[in-house]
Amino acid sequence: MGKLWVISIASISILLPFLCNAFSPESPTDRRLLVLLDDFAIKSSHSIYFNSLKSRGFDLEFKLADDPKIALQRYGQYLYDALILFCPSVERFGGSIDYAAIIDFVDSGHDLIIAADSNASDLIREVGNESGVEFDEDPSAMVIDHISYAVSETEGDHTLIASDDLIKSDVILGSKRIAAPILFRGIGHSLNPANNLVLKVLSASPSAYSANPKSKLSTPPTLIGSAISLVSIVQARNNARILITGTLSMFSNRFFRSGVQKAGSHTKHEKSGNEQFLTEISKWVFHERCHLKAVNVKHHKVGETDEPALYRINDELEYSVEIFEWSGTSWEPYVANDVQVQFYMMSPYVLKTMSHDKKGLYSTSFKVPDVYGVFQFKVEYQKLGYTSLSLSKQIPVRPYRHNEYERFIPAAYPYYGAAFSMMAGFFIFSFVHLYSK
Amino acid sequence: MARILARFLVLLLVVSICEAAPLFQPISDSHRSAALELFTLDHGSFKSLEETYEALRTFQILGIEKKPDVTAAACHSISETVGSLSSTPKDLFYALKANSIAECKIHAKASKGIISSLNSAVSGSSSLLDFYYSVGGLVLIKDQSSKDDLQLADAEGVFRSVKAFSQSDGRWRYSSNNLESSAFAAGIALETLAGIVSLASSELDQSLISTLKNDISKLFDSIEKYGDGTLYFDDKLVDGYEYKGPLSATSSVLRGLTAFAAVTTGNIDLPRDKMLGLAKFFLGIGVPGDAKDFFYQIDACACLDSNRVSIPLILSLPAAVLSLTKKDSLKVRVATVLGSNAPPLTVKLVGVFSSVSKDASLVESQELKFDQGSGLHILNDLLEIIDVGSYTFVFEVVLQEPDDEKVYVTGSQTKVPIFVTGLVRIENSEIVVLDSDLGSVESQSKLDLTAKNAVSLSANHLQKMRLSFRLTTPRGLAFKPHQAFLKLRHESKVEHIFVVGNSGKHFEIVLNFLGLVEKFFYLSGKYDMEFTVGDSAMENSFLVAIGYIELDLPQAPEKATRPPLQAIDPYTRYGPKAEITHIFRAPEKRPPQELSLAFLGLTILPLLGFFIGLLRLGVNMKNFPSKPVPAAFAFLFHVGIGAVLLLYVFFWLKLDLFQTLKVLGFLVVFLVFIGHRILSHLAAASAKLKSA
Repeated sequence: MGKLWVISIASISILLPFLCNAFSPESPTDRRLLVLLDDFAIKSSHSIYFNSLKSRGFDLEFKLADDPKIALQRYGQYLYDALILFCPSVERFGGSIDYAAIIDFVDSGHDLIIAADSNASDLIREVGNESGVEFDEDPSAMVIDHISYAVSETEGDHTLIASDDLIKSDVILGSKRIAAPILFRGIGHSLNPANNLVLKVLSASPSAYSANPKSKLSTPPTLIGSAISLVSIVQARNNARILITGTLSMFSNRFFRSGVQKAGSHTKHEKSGNEQFLTEISKWVFHERCHLKAVNVKHHKVGETDEPALYRINDELEYSVEIFEWSGTSWEPYVANDVQVQFYMMSPYVLKTMSHDKKGLYSTSFKVPDVYGVFQFKVEYQKLGYTSLSLSKQIPVRPYRHNEYERFIPAAYPYYGAAFSMMAGFFIFSFVHLYSK
Repeated sequence: MARILARFLVLLLVVSICEAAPLFQPISDSHRSAALELFTLDHGSFKSLEETYEALRTFQILGIEKKPDVTAAACHSISETVGSLSSTPKDLFYALKANSIAECKIHAKASKGIISSLNSAVSGSSSLLDFYYSVGGLVLIKDQSSKDDLQLADAEGVFRSVKAFSQSDGRWRYSSNNLESSAFAAGIALETLAGIVSLASSELDQSLISTLKNDISKLFDSIEKYGDGTLYFDDKLVDGYEYKGPLSATSSVLRGLTAFAAVTTGNIDLPRDKMLGLAKFFLGIGVPGDAKDFFYQIDACACLDSNRVSIPLILSLPAAVLSLTKKDSLKVRVATVLGSNAPPLTVKLVGVFSSVSKDASLVESQELKFDQGSGLHILNDLLEIIDVGSYTFVFEVVLQEPDDEKVYVTGSQTKVPIFVTGLVRIENSEIVVLDSDLGSVESQSKLDLTAKNAVSLSANHLQKMRLSFRLTTPRGLAFKPHQAFLKLRHESKVEHIFVVGNSGKHFEIVLNFLGLVEKFFYLSGKYDMEFTVGDSAMENSFLVAIGYIELDLPQAPEKATRPPLQAIDPYTRYGPKAEITHIFRAPEKRPPQELSLAFLGLTILPLLGFFIGLLRLGVNMKNFPSKPVPAAFAFLFHVGIGAVLLLYVFFWLKLDLFQTLKVLGFLVVFLVFIGHRILSHLAAASAKLKSA
């Protein structure tokens, strides 16, 4: 019996690193996902999406949103790296999850996918609001588009939209162009203009509007045209990523498999762009892409290798940093021409674009300004889609010491000459005065 | 309960979202392609015999020809399971089930062994599932080997012991010590009992059968319902018990019912609409993405298609969007859930109701023509009497043979939402700027709303702008589109939207700028105008740029509301910033070096003059002490002065103040001592001279 104990403890301790292969700064891809559903039928009707996540190595845990046993954290440790809310109608979560718990979850750097729907509850709307989007307040409103709708034999109310107005960013949507339009049926949202972290990924066409398709319109709808966002993303300052959309059916097998033909166009696509779009964007949301890290921040005087404790004004210095991008499995060198370093004291004194060696090493050299004080080397790198890099390193700059000034100034030669000729005269004079008769 | 109910409402919504029109389509080709995707092989075979059976059964029901060939692998594992003595009844059951489709050869000796082991399993069973597997196994053996002599020894006793699990509400328990009853177990129990009936050597007691029939109708009383007439069974979600969901429970009940109905004589008294409701449930879920759910759906549909109680017929439309311009005809298909053809019947269009006014039917009741070739019921000339818009069509299915009424169930009336689309004519569109008080026309332009316009207007806050047009349907009636928006966009991207109202065919909007000044945030300047008209029934919905209007609005007062914040373009928000280089202080201006050197030369001149003066005066050293001791002091005194001066030179060249002072301290002490000796000597000498 005792032997069994030892063996089991030993095996657990060996397995422990593998059991804990969760989110860490070293491998930022999420691993454990909690999927909250309104109904288990969604698990089967949206299985292609879930299976694509599973095949990429995610552990999905499906729970009903009102399951009394769900929790995001235990003993202060988060149990999941990301949360998928496929429960648009939930009024109150079960267990220890509530609105504040979700906000805390994101605030601690975890990712979130929110799918609302035409019957979205106040709770889901609030979570959306906190993320910087506002869903249409009218609960029966849907996005309608009478011009760029998806042609369908069976559905004629033009709420099934074929949208292809995607954000122009390869890093978010992958390098392969999404050729087929994306099917959407659900509610629209608008972005909070004061929030500059939220981005429209898929927007509605200029002819779209958000209204109840079954009732007449007497007042103008609040959401109209390309201001309507169908799918939005947020990258928080702590690099937590959020995907917000007003539809659950967009993720469904039916939309994934369905062919699509946009009204007014003659090309009929065999398959909608939903699968490609949602797979690519989930790679982004779960940090399989566009996650940067900066290591080996170094600076030193030109010609030296050691990092000084402080610089003197007018020193020539070299600054270098290595930047890598996470590719889902390994850290690859990041190549870009817009990484800038600032030499900063209250405002940047020097701002310089760094050159790179294509292996991730960015470096530059410049002369320390002739202002002394406590400066910072700052790299504030923000690029559409990428996690932001914010490095700062404090470094004092001192003025010249008294003996570092120039000592033999030519312009002062007359004064030197005068002093020394005076001294020579005095020496001679001392003889003449004492001994002359 | 409320929670569970709420969840099902959600399921319904999910369903209704996936299948937007509440129109149920029979199993179609999308199911066939999905089946091939879902049932995938793992190294040439399925994971378990259960899965093998489910796959084979699904392929069989759907009639898929191009299925993956698994017979050899399946036969291998079937014969292995059957031949092994350690196989549990469950394994044997699924092996035999798979074999009923794969049709492998089972050794006679092996089958004898199974019979005996299953027979002993029946007598040793204590739970419902034990009975289910062992009895089911025996039934399968009987079917496959056509051994008519295979019988249960004490069929009635077994029947009673299975019946003991039943509950008063028609549900069943899994075992006697499990208190939870479920509909899923009820289905299993019915299937088991049907097996016992078919295995019984003699006719069973009719009272047993009739109580069971009673149980079934009780079970159907507890059926759950959605708003659209969809029915299903569900089990309560209980902790510690594997919740399978409504799909498996409903499928299980249907399977049990079909099996039981097949072995008993006489009617099972069930409301006929319930079978239709169940059919709608299975068709409403679309294509499940899970192999198990898929099997449940298809298997249940097969049960619905071939049961003895009543076979539901589903009315569906290949197209619910009919175009007047393409002259589409109204087509209706009536089929069973699996899509096989219905018996001879007629489809009647009972009424057509507009979605706006639901009072009276727009057309008279009429019969649809049956087209033998396509199997569709067609109405061709309907669209000539109906205008564009969205309607609800009400159909009624009437079976031609009275005998079919007992076999099939059609439901009373089927309501189908239909969209009739067509081209809407746009005429007399014009845009006018009016003077406010007189109403006189300032400027007027005709618009062509099918193409981009480039109208340029200008107005001040005392004027009005009027946009007007006419819309008529293909049949010359007034048409009110859902979307008729005029959008004004200021240069600063502030947008204003106005809904264009109508009176009959005539649409008009008047913008009185005086009243709009505040709404426009007092922003003068160029406003781009865009006009959108769209409706689901309109094939020529359009979004057209009209041009612009230059507005001259008064200055904003102090307290006027500011225009709302506009979102920043994400493409410009990021990207590199402009480089900053520090501007260093310029060094101080200095005279040229030559000038300094020239002045250096000038500073030497007084010293030269001093030398020349000394020579001219004829200085001499006659006073220098002649005695050796004072001479040595004199010499040292001047060396000391020289050393101090030299120290100054060094101070200038390299030494710092502290080093200099240190050395100077020693020199000063030395000089004071030496200087005192020589100076007092010289003073004494000069005093002696004076007194002499």
